[in-house]
Order: sequence, then structure tokens, then C-alpha cells
Amino acid sequence: MDNIVFSIGITALAGALATVAGAAEDVESDIGSQGDPNSQVQLAPQMGYIHRIYNKAIAGEPPAWGLWIALGAGIAWAFMAMQINPILAIVLGAGLATFVQGVYSTTAYLGRTASLSKFGQPVYIDIIKSMTTVTMAHAFVAIFATVTLCHLMNAALGHPFPLPLLGLVWGIALGAAGSATGNPYYGKERQYQTQNFGAGVPISASGNIVRYAEAGERNSLDNGFFTAKLGGPASGVCFGLIVFLELWRTVLFEKIGAGWGAIIVGVIIILIFTIIDRYIEVWARKNYGPYTKPEETSS
Amino acid sequence: MSVKVEVIEGGVPHQKILIAGLVLAVIGLYLSYLNVIVGTQMFAFFGGLAAIAALVWGSHTIKVLASYGIGTGVPSAGMIAFGSGVIAFLFATKYGVLAPIVAIVLAAVIGAILGYLANEVLSMHIPVMIKSLTEMAVVGALSLMGFSAMITGSFAFSPQGSFIFSLTTGSVKVLGMSLPSYQSSYIGGALIATVFLLGAIAIQHGFNACLGPGWKQDRMLMLVAECGFLSMMMCAIMSVALISLAAAILSFIVGLLGWYYTYTKYIELSKRDAAAWLDAKPIPEVEGH
Repeated sequence: MDNIVFSIGITALAGALATVAGAAEDVESDIGSQGDPNSQVQLAPQMGYIHRIYNKAIAGEPPAWGLWIALGAGIAWAFMAMQINPILAIVLGAGLATFVQGVYSTTAYLGRTASLSKFGQPVYIDIIKSMTTVTMAHAFVAIFATVTLCHLMNAALGHPFPLPLLGLVWGIALGAAGSATGNPYYGKERQYQTQNFGAGVPISASGNIVRYAEAGERNSLDNGFFTAKLGGPASGVCFGLIVFLELWRTVLFEKIGAGWGAIIVGVIIILIFTIIDRYIEVWARKNYGPYTKPEETSS
Repeated sequence: MSVKVEVIEGGVPHQKILIAGLVLAVIGLYLSYLNVIVGTQMFAFFGGLAAIAALVWGSHTIKVLASYGIGTGVPSAGMIAFGSGVIAFLFATKYGVLAPIVAIVLAAVIGAILGYLANEVLSMHIPVMIKSLTEMAVVGALSLMGFSAMITGSFAFSPQGSFIFSLTTGSVKVLGMSLPSYQSSYIGGALIATVFLLGAIAIQHGFNACLGPGWKQDRMLMLVAECGFLSMMMCAIMSVALISLAAAILSFIVGLLGWYYTYTKYIELSKRDAAAWLDAKPIPEVEGH
């Protein structure tokens, strides 16, 4: 019994860490316009819309975050193998992984922007100086929290995978959660605030992202400020729920039927979420959607 | 049938980069084998240099492949290179001193099969697909082998000699005694997962970051070398757990010097190619908007 109480405590702690990590990850990628909104930021100068938005394309979010977390975990593993205190090892691993993330961000912005010289998009050095550091700060929070939860799984819950492999798996999951939850909010709500709600992005509006702020010109810090309110926490809740429910079902139901209990509960959780998602989708369309029939959307 | 949308204008032809990358990678790997011959760990950094040579070649292969209009698949090319390369690498480590040659041959076979499946079964019909995926698999295997040699001291599974170079057995100190441990080894501790991504992101980042109408070959290759040296620095830090401190520090210094040189060079090249280089300036007025 004590063992289960302990495991549930670790599960709750891991879920909380994952929530923080998800929120930080999404704000980081929104400031850098990584993930799917990147296509519009990349397209804008080609359509004549020169902008001052950070364009840091480092693979997709899942592979990039797979690297940051696996690197943080790998360095932490190496330091722990040298008998260094785990907390110090994780801090050092997260710090070095953040350095790599910062270097990749600057080279991605310089490369993408220099290749758009034909369209007159200049390289803004102040963007690199002010925004890379902000994304690095968010990345550090996300990497530290995720490597810590991987270490908790390995050391406290006795997960058989070594730390770097857990880092790879959960890093890809973290990137996927942020990319799927928070980025559409940034891409459709922030970049296309000039469009009517629910209008989508017609071809004629491609690249016509919002470039001017209430006063002056908009940069990516404004986007981070905007998405920190809803998009980031939503990604955090998404990743937190993934980690929490995954550990919760394993801790409680693994003993039933030689592991099959956890698998069956996992399938039931997926079915419950599918029903909830469908309900929310229908409800949102009924209440907000200007399009009641699919034919009208094609016009 | 895919249409070739971009051509490589000027610059070094692909064939030259292929040969240079392959030869340099093999030479680097065999220089790291001096560890076993001389009985030291100081030559581990040659493995990292071999991996960088392979990465530079691989990124140009991605450019050749991606010029057939699969722009969104650039990161996946890095993944398939290392995914197919890791099989050849792990199998080849059984062959001791012949490991790099076995890895090249086996990776080429695996890559050719994957290319055939992509072209004929999945009906992609890209003319350079089979050749490119063959190259990618060889690049993946050689890069993994290079970084592995750098972290563990040798690319072979269990070479002869008094030194314990092994991919699957490490050692733990218990009460002052050194005991073998599978968990604290390169593969048992899954450091290979970190190296996999360090290489896979580095190989695709060059073209992914520099693609566009203003693509320049020298800028892209410089960026890949920069990513490679950055990965090498991180591998050197992780190697502290498995090889001697002096060898790890030597690897780190070589990586740091290479990284600093390529990073400053890359910024210079970006400055050369950029439309303008502005600091805290407003958006320039463009006609019509």
C-alpha cells in the first residue's frame, strides 16, 4: 500500500513537472515561430510582407525537442555515472542542451533569412540578440522539467529504460504536444487576427501575417506574451495529462492480468477522450461556426 | 513523376563531395583505431572529425534529393539516414578492425533496399532516390561509428588488448573496486539515443535552415560543419563518463576550436548573402504594401 501511495505521489509530481514543461515549450516555439506557423512566417517576405518576426526553423518541433531532451538527459546520465549529485547533473545537462538550442536558433534564423535576400527581407541583429535569449530561458525550463520527470520515472518508479532513451521518447512527446495544441492557436489566432474568426486562411491571405502591433511594429516577444495566456497553458495541460494518465494507469493497473490491465485501461482512456473531443467539436461548431453546411466553405 | 525544381548552380559538384566525405570519414575512423594499436585513448577525437566529414557529405546528398521537390521532408531525411545506418553500425562492430568497411557495405545494401521500396513500392519515382538513400545510410552508419568511437574510445565491439573499450560493458566503482556493468555503458545506458539525434538533427539542419531562393552551397556546408562540431563538443562532454578525462578534454578542445571557427565563418557568409544587416531598424517600405 505504501508503495502505491509513493508511486501516486511521484505520478502527481511528474504530471506537474510535465505541465510546466509543456507551457514553457509552447511559448518557446511560438516566440521562434517554429512548427507549423513557420510556413507562413517563411512565406510572408515572398508575398511582399517584410516582417520582424523570429524565424527559427530547426526540423519540426518533435525531432528538435527529442534532441534537446535526449541531450539534456544524456549529459545528465554521463555526470550521474561519474557519481555527481542528480540535481546538479540535471541542471548541467539542461544548461548545455539550452546552449545547443540557442546556437541552432541563431543559425536557423540567419540561414532562412539570408536565403530570402531576393525578396528584400533583412537580417535583424536585434531580433537575434533579444529573442534568442528569451527562447533559451523557456527552453531551459522545459528541458529541466522534462529531464527531471524522466529521472523520476527511472529512479523512483523503476522504469527499465535508461535516462537518455526516456529523454528521447518524452522529448518527442513534448514537442508533439506543443506542436499540436499551442501552435495552431498562435498560427491561426495571432498571425491572422485581421481575418474573420473561423474564416480560415484563404490563398489570397497567405503570408499576410500581422506585422504591426497596437503601437509600432510587432516582434516575436509580443507573440510570446499573447500565447503565454492560453496557448502555453493549454499545451502544458495536454502534456501534463499525457504524462499523468500514462503513469497513473501503469502504477495502478499494471499488476492486473500480467500487465494487460494497464493496456485495457489505456484503451478505455483513449475512448473516453475521443468521445469528449467529438462532443466539444460539435458543440463549438453549433455555437461559433459561421459555416453550417460544408458547401459554403468551398466558396 | 516528380519534377526537378532546383538545380545546383556553381559550387563543388556532388561527386567530389561524396568522394571527399567518404575518404575522410574512413581515414578518420582508422586514425581513431590508433587507440587500440598504441594503447591509449587520446586519438578518440579523430572519430568526431570522421563523423563531421560524413555529415557534410550527407547534407549535400539531402540537397540533391530535396531538389526534386520534397522540401517538407528534409528533417525526415536525417532520420532515415541514421535509422538505416544504426543497423549497419551495430552489426559491423562485431568485425573489429574491418568494422568501417563492413558498415559501408551493409549500409549501402540497406539503403538501396529502402530506396527501391520508396521508389517502386511507394511509387515515389524520384530518379536519385535509390542512390541518395544508399548514400544517406552509409553517412548515418559512418557518423554513428565516428561519434561512438569518440565517446567509447573504439568503434569495435570487443577488441583485443588490455584496455576495456566496449560498447556494451562499462565499469562501476564499488568500494574502490572496478566492476563491469552493462547499465553504465554506451549502448546499455542508451547514449546512442542521444548520439542518434545529435547526428540526425545536425545532418538535416544545414539544408533545412538554408533552403530558399538564395541558397548557397558554401554557406550550407559551413553550417553543417558548425552543427557537426557542436555535436562533437557535446559528445566530448558525455565521453567523460566512459574514457579518460584527458582524452575527453582533448576532444572537447578540438570540437570547441572547430565550432568557433565554423560559427564565425557562417555568420560572415550569412552577412555576405543577406539582403541587409540591420540592428534595431524598422521594416523597410516596400511598394504596394
